[in-house]
Formats: sequence, structure tokens, C-alpha cells
Amino acid sequence: MDTEQEDMSPETALDKDPFQMTVEDVYDMSHVIGKDLMKISKEARGVTDLVADLQFKIVRVLEVLETLVNQSSLATEEMKMERDNLKGELERLVKESPQADQADLGPDKMVIDLTDPNRPRFTLQELREVLQERNKLKVQLLVAQDELQCYKSGVIPPTEDHIVTLENESIITSSPRGNDNSKDKSAIRRLFSPFRQDKQAQQ
Amino acid sequence: MQSPPLSPVPRDRLICQMPKCYTAESCLQYKTHFDAQVKSACQQRHAGNYGLKMSKVVMVGDLYVGKTSLINRFCKNVFDRDYKATIGVDFEIERFEILGMPFNLQIWDTAGQEKFKCIASAYYRGAQVIITAFDLGDIQTLEHTKHWLQDALKENEPDTCFVFLVGTKKDTLSEAECEQTEQDALKFAIEMKAEYWSVSAKTGENVKDFFFRVAALAFEQCMRKELEKNSHNTAQIGAGNLIQLEGNPSENKENDLQHSTNCC
Repeated sequence: MDTEQEDMSPETALDKDPFQMTVEDVYDMSHVIGKDLMKISKEARGVTDLVADLQFKIVRVLEVLETLVNQSSLATEEMKMERDNLKGELERLVKESPQADQADLGPDKMVIDLTDPNRPRFTLQELREVLQERNKLKVQLLVAQDELQCYKSGVIPPTEDHIVTLENESIITSSPRGNDNSKDKSAIRRLFSPFRQDKQAQQ
Repeated sequence: MQSPPLSPVPRDRLICQMPKCYTAESCLQYKTHFDAQVKSACQQRHAGNYGLKMSKVVMVGDLYVGKTSLINRFCKNVFDRDYKATIGVDFEIERFEILGMPFNLQIWDTAGQEKFKCIASAYYRGAQVIITAFDLGDIQTLEHTKHWLQDALKENEPDTCFVFLVGTKKDTLSEAECEQTEQDALKFAIEMKAEYWSVSAKTGENVKDFFFRVAALAFEQCMRKELEKNSHNTAQIGAGNLIQLEGNPSENKENDLQHSTNCC
């Protein structure tokens, strides 16, 4: 781009959109006009004074133009910087306070940034299920640990006489197998295994 | 039907005498011995026919008061200085031998964070013991115990739960500071009909004594209920009233009374 511009003839500066103009373009124009004035004064000796006079006026106009263009491009640059700052500020605010967005959406809405790796993405029901699964496994682990302890201490663990269950997800129960009292059976999830019970072990 | 053996209860989980309360100013019961009926039933091993006793304990309270730390100190004898929020709920099963009988406590540890309340509250049901914990160094957490208790009681039948109020992080306070906070806490405990304890999971101070007290009271209540049910059943046969309606305890009490008057 830069090399192309250098190769371009200074005359093209005259064809430019005034709003796209830079100070360099003004210098190009000044160069072009200066060359023309030199040619004129070489050809016709009589008009030298007139040309010199005109030259002063033209220089003045070009100076005015230089100042204006300079100022306008400076202003544009400033505005660009201001725009970028504001953009950054806005992004920062959005990131820091999702509350601000919520206010716009109403109190029960939430904006989720889909690019945030820590964004909420699981439902309450899913968490509930994971917890229930964890609790079930922990009960099984405790039962297995205890059974292992039995074998280690040379006590034969009981067979199926008791079952340990996780009732209604929150109550662990242990009840004799084959009990006729089946009032809660439907709600009980059998977790297998014996929870050994007993007294002889101490004797 | 004699039950087969089970692995022995660890030596440090044997309870032979009713453990003492922390302060007489706020305690659930003053007597220093187990109920005589319960004791003799245990001696006769009658209770062996009733199946393994298991009581449900629920621990509630603000986040970061040290509910999990307290449970971990008792169940695993560890203390982790780093805070890790409990997600939803967790639980431990602790085995005891009380008056020669095996007894289990299922201790439910709930999350203190507001966002988990809807999950944790589903686990309040069927609690025999509710422990409301607060940080002795943060008076606000004491004030919140009332709400925690209310929420937990809502899920249970009235007058079926033992309530404990426990001040945690005792090690972070001087003796004078601790005493002062205890004065405030005792007022709360009395209002909440709770037994008061100050503990430290970090040093372990009072932790074992506290849980032994919980276990002993829960066990005694379990046994008493069982004995009541049994005597009730015999009474019914005696009264020729063989059909028993389930569920209404006040009615049952009336039947008991009737029977005893008939007898005399």
C-alpha cells in the first residue's frame, strides 16, 4: 500500500475526496501548483509579477487548507481512540456486573456468557440425581468396607439377613429381609447387602 | 431369629454411661443415667429382636461455620484448614455400641450456601436429631440458627426431634470472649428448646463428648419408643382389641391409659 502511494503521481491528490484528504495530499497539491507556476513564469516574462502575487495567495490558501485538514484528521483520530476506549469499558462492565443486564431483562432473567468456561450449564435436577447416585454408592462402599472388616477379623459376615436401603433418597434404613411389613417397600430402593448386626462379635 | 455376627464396633465407640451435658443451663435432660427400663431391656438383650437401631442426625447452619469440619473431626479424626463448600449434602454413618447394643448414627451434612437450600432441605425429613451450628466468632450466624431450625422442623413431625445448638471454632476465642458469646447463645438455646455445646473441630475440644451425648440420647429415645410399642402390642391383646390403627400417637397413649385403668 505504502509503496503504491509513493509511486502515485502527486496530481492524484487533486482528485481525492476532500474528507479523505491528509496533510500529505495538501503538500502534493502545493507541489503541483508550484511546478505549474514555475512553468508559467519561464514562458512569459511579463507576467512574472502577477504570478508571484498569485503565488502568495495560493500559498495562503494552501496553508489554510493544511491547518483544516490537519485539525480534522486529528479530531478523527481522537474520536477513534475514544470509541475504542468506550468499547473496552463496556465489555469490562458487562463482564463484571451481570446484574446490570438482569435489570434490563427483568429480575428473574439471567444472561449467560456462552464463552465462559465456568458458565452454569447443569440443571438442579441433574445435580440432585448425581447426589443421589453418590449417596447410594457411598452406602455401598460403607457396607463393603464393613464386610471386609468382618473377613479381616475372622468373623463370617451374615448372609442376606438384613438389607440396607436408601429410603426416599434421604433416610438410610436397615431392616430384616423377608419382613412382611412392607408398607414402604415401593418407596424403598434396595441397596443390596447385609448390614451386619450383632452382639456375639464382642464376646 | 438370632442375628449373625458383625464386625466389632471400634473400642472408642463404646458407651456404657449416659454422657454429661455441656451446661446445665441448657440441656435436654438432666439425669446422669440411662432410663432404667431401657437399661434392663438391653441387659436382657430383648432389644436384639428389634433389629439394628439407626438414628438420623441432620446438621444445619450458615456456610463456613464448620459443619463439615465438625463431622470430619469426629468421624475421621481429621481437620482441614482449607475451606471447601459442601455441595448439596453429604453423610457419614458412625457405628456405636451403647449398653452392649449396636447402634448407628447417620449424620447428614448439609450445604450452608443459599443456592443449595432447595436440595439440602429435601434431606431434613425423618430426623431424630437436628444440630444447628454457628460460628462463636460471628454473632450473625447465631442469629440465623433460628431460621435454620425452623426450616428443618417444618419437614418433621412436631416434638419428635432432639435439637442441639452448637457454637464452633472455640479455639479462635479467648475464654472471656467465649463466655460472653455463650451467654447470648444460651438464650437462643432455651428459646429453641435446644441443648447447648461449644466445640472446636481444630483442637477437637468437646467434639467426641458432644457426639456421644447425641448418640446416647438418640439411642435411648429409640429404645424407649420400641419398648412402648411392644408393651402397647401386649396391652392390645389383653384388651381384646386386635385391630390397631397406625399413626396416631395420642390415640395410642389413650389406649395405654385405658388399659392400665382396666387392669387396676
